[in-house]
Amino acid sequence: MFGWLLWRLLRGNRGRLAVALVAVISGAAVISALLNLDFDIERKLAQEFRMLGPNLVVAPKGGMQSQDAGSTSATLMDEDSIQHAIAQTQSSDLIGAASYLYIVARVGGKPVVVAGTQISEARKLNPTWKLSGNSPENGCLVGQNVARELKLTPGDSVRITYLSRTITLPVDSLLDSGGAEDNQILADLTTVQQLAGANGKIEFEQLRVKGETSAIAAYASSLAASLPAYEVRPIPQVTEAEGNLLNRTKLLIVSMILLILALTALCVLATMAALAMERREDIGLMKTLGGSIGRILGLFLAEVGVLGAVGGLAGCIAGIALARWMGERVFGTSIAPSWEVFPLTIVLMIAVALAGVLPLRLLGRVKPAVILRGR
Amino acid sequence: MFARLVGESLRRNPRRKALTAAALAVGMAVTTATLTVALQVGDRMAREFRSLGANLLVTPQSDTLPLEIGGVDYRPVNEGAYLNESDLGKLKTIFWRHNILGFTPFLDVPASVRVGDAGPAKDSTVIGTWYEHDVAIPDGTKFKTGAASTHPWWKIRGNWFHDDSNEGVVGSALAATYPGGIVPGETIDIAENGGQTQDAAKTLRVLVTGIVTTGGTEDQAILVPLSVAQQLSGHQGQFRQLFVSALTKPADALADRDPKSLTPTEYDRWFCSPYISSISYQIEQVLPGTDVRAIRRVADTEGRILSRVSTLLWIVTLAALAAAGLAVAATSAATVLERRQEIGIMKAIGATNVAVAGIFLAEQLILAIAGGAVGFLFGIGLARVLGTSVFGTPAAPRLIVLPIALGLAVVVALAGSLIPLRRAARFDPAPILRGE
Repeated sequence: MFGWLLWRLLRGNRGRLAVALVAVISGAAVISALLNLDFDIERKLAQEFRMLGPNLVVAPKGGMQSQDAGSTSATLMDEDSIQHAIAQTQSSDLIGAASYLYIVARVGGKPVVVAGTQISEARKLNPTWKLSGNSPENGCLVGQNVARELKLTPGDSVRITYLSRTITLPVDSLLDSGGAEDNQILADLTTVQQLAGANGKIEFEQLRVKGETSAIAAYASSLAASLPAYEVRPIPQVTEAEGNLLNRTKLLIVSMILLILALTALCVLATMAALAMERREDIGLMKTLGGSIGRILGLFLAEVGVLGAVGGLAGCIAGIALARWMGERVFGTSIAPSWEVFPLTIVLMIAVALAGVLPLRLLGRVKPAVILRGR
Repeated sequence: MFARLVGESLRRNPRRKALTAAALAVGMAVTTATLTVALQVGDRMAREFRSLGANLLVTPQSDTLPLEIGGVDYRPVNEGAYLNESDLGKLKTIFWRHNILGFTPFLDVPASVRVGDAGPAKDSTVIGTWYEHDVAIPDGTKFKTGAASTHPWWKIRGNWFHDDSNEGVVGSALAATYPGGIVPGETIDIAENGGQTQDAAKTLRVLVTGIVTTGGTEDQAILVPLSVAQQLSGHQGQFRQLFVSALTKPADALADRDPKSLTPTEYDRWFCSPYISSISYQIEQVLPGTDVRAIRRVADTEGRILSRVSTLLWIVTLAALAAAGLAVAATSAATVLERRQEIGIMKAIGATNVAVAGIFLAEQLILAIAGGAVGFLFGIGLARVLGTSVFGTPAAPRLIVLPIALGLAVVVALAGSLIPLRRAARFDPAPILRGE
């Protein structure tokens, strides 16, 4: 009986309910799109921060060592044990890891800093580097200032002398890094190790780990556990600023989303309240026919609940498409839908729709005679 | 007669009118708040990005190659070109002077250091810089700047050195190489040893005031006031590198073009936009003989994230505007629907559809303006709260938002009433009056 009444009620008011349904659907779409965005934004922004370069460094205890590897005060680390530890700390969050060894060598009689590193890894760590020339193979990358000073172009070869050793390397490409590497020559780590007479030695290891500050810290501590002799530290310039900026951006988006949430709820509430007000005549009739208040209220709540659930579900699906579009527009990649958004939005919509019926609590006061007279 | 009708209509049933106006006010408050924040977010976020430190590096143009490893220049002091400290005040005279938030000169001196009176001498680097230094600006004022603003992540245990005094702070890695470390209060003898001319007279004694942790190569060096490093190197009033922290606008198509290829109008627009390229250009103009480069790692990240966040915020603001419009339209529609009986009476006694619509629209207009104005005031308050909670400082009200909020309130209130009014126009008065 109740179900049948509900069904008649829903069918009988198709036109008016459709208006309310549109309000609920659009509200749910906006809310679910924003919630999807909010769940994904941290990951998306963290990805953008990759451009800042490495965020972890493995260095000898006490601090970073970066100076001429041949100088007496340089403390060198063992490359193999670090590579081994990194390989053991399996993590999908690791984007890249590059070892560095520096020497101040002579090229054409002039002193130049030569950095030994795994060039492909170093490029992964520094997405802002721009190469002009051939793709790096077994030659070297020449910083743009060095290239200007020594008049080098890709395809040339460069003679590097360190102490009594000399090697000749082909110039694969010029490097525009917008940083200190513009004044350096980058060559393969093994080559520089041989030149420096420091086989298997490095000065420090740089890593980029993606994720939030806590994920980075977790990776750092698990790596540190397998490297007791060395120190694994976040690079404060990058990690601190990153955490700070992520928080601010998140806070900004979240507060905007809360505002919109309140507004959308208000909109749905207004529509539902208007619907309820129009029902006063039906209520008067039902009361005259002997319906109890509880029963009438139950009927209306059920109607509105169905409206909220159907509208919420349809809105969620529309919201996924909206979030996709927003993701494309803002980040160039679509936003992955989060499933927890579905129940959240639907429950919210049902709650808001039910709250819209609150004016009906005045039902008890409805005097059938007055209403039916048309006042 | 029309005015009286509208006035009567407004006075009757004040509670319902208040409800409509309140819905309008809430909608417009949110609109005002989001718009106010969206208008300022670029500037605020750009300021936040300065926690990344400097985004511009100034070096002498005709320089030999810096032997720079991890930020420290290992060139001997008598090699390469220098810049003049006395010119630095000019940085605050460029067109975008207010966007220059800080700058710090650096002078690296290879030196041998001895802790205490009888310790062994050790090779190290002495870095001369400013922590908080008053720079004289040509207009007569002072500007306080230094590593505190360009390297905000540097952490000190103890105190920073005082400018122009024989004090210094020791990098944590260097301090750790001494058994028992170095504590503030000890003295260090520093002798410059990088040049070919060994001069024993150039020995200075500095008092250690703190231990600094930077996460970079400075951890192995001794940081002293710039004047001390100048005295040590014999390059009075000079420095090697200048880090500048400037507020910039994300690069767009115009920013990436070569200034020489721009038409005069485009050039003016480029010059008058705080792009990193136009600020570098203006710095090169006031500091002739320098090479100003963007520190791309910082500048690119900043530009990308800034433009992303502001696009995102504009989309969210649009969504807020749409939601506000929908809420207001729904409320307006409800008010009109509820008064079908009145409309029936009016039509029964001979009012035309136009007259009925006129009265209702005039009433909605007054409500929209009143509600919109109240909403604007609330919105300013809301924007202040938002600004404070997100950025720590309240967002300043923008007057441009007022016409937008009022206009939007009027448009959505009228649009919301139009649909039910059109339906009302089709009403046959008789069944309505009968109460059907």
